[in-house]
Amino acid sequence: MTTDAIRAGPDVTPRESGAAAAVRAFFDAYRVHDVERMVDLCTDGAGFRYVPFEVWGRQRVLHGEGKVITVGKMIWTTLLDAFPDLTNAVTSLRADEHGNVAAEVGIGGTQARPFGIIACTGGHYELPHLFLFHVTGDGLIDDIVAYWDNVDWKRQLGCLEVD
Amino acid sequence: MSARSLAEKFFGRLQAGEVGDILDLMTPDATVSLVPLNRHGPMVTDGAAYVRELARAFPDLLVRVRRLFVTADNTAVAEITIDGTQADDFLAVANQEKHLELDQAWMLKVTPADRISAVTAYWDQNQLYRRLGVKRLDKITITAG
Repeated sequence: MTTDAIRAGPDVTPRESGAAAAVRAFFDAYRVHDVERMVDLCTDGAGFRYVPFEVWGRQRVLHGEGKVITVGKMIWTTLLDAFPDLTNAVTSLRADEHGNVAAEVGIGGTQARPFGIIACTGGHYELPHLFLFHVTGDGLIDDIVAYWDNVDWKRQLGCLEVD
Repeated sequence: MSARSLAEKFFGRLQAGEVGDILDLMTPDATVSLVPLNRHGPMVTDGAAYVRELARAFPDLLVRVRRLFVTADNTAVAEITIDGTQADDFLAVANQEKHLELDQAWMLKVTPADRISAVTAYWDQNQLYRRLGVKRLDKITITAG
């Protein structure tokens, strides 16, 4: 893990360091595939939005949006099933005094099962992500938003369909 | 000027396609990383070219800031939505006059002298292609009605 923008020292506020610690713990849990721990680091009603996650059907579009306990947990579990060696590296982490955290994270893995429209060819991917969190004063994550580029992801795994 | 105010000005000028005014907000050696385009370089060339292409392709562009916070290292982090109707080719996608609405996240690193020294942007290019009618990633220039 690089330390770009990760601050330390007497001028770092408790809220800032607490929020950063919660986010680091989240990615530590993600790295060892402990989904229950990821959920436990969030409030019961924590919001969840994976912006690029869209599944286009004939009648409607499913978005990766809802609650951590339902949509988030389901997506993480499915992703880890499809990419059993999934790992992550936090490359930058920035926090403010109000519980907002921005984390740039590299996520990668080798495909073992189909994932959405991406058929399994055993390919490997490495993909930059930007995660935005909000962390409560009690040190629990109550909102997760993530951005990444599905074109880069799908090309690395040999999928050339937009939908 | 605070980093928040600077970021609000930046996005206002992005909406207006005012490249010169955007560069006036930045240090001379400011860098840009447009992650989904794999463009990483000087703002004065790579960033300016992107803003010009965006403004030409979407003359009715609206940039709506949905969330904005400033981290302790004086980086403005913003979630925005860009909204417009295609009027010219954009990133090799032929113009079909499709409407684009796309969520993005930007980080603007601000110096103590109140200038932006680095810009990083994330979005999903697949969503952009889908909204502009592209069907296959190996045939970006071929669009469906």
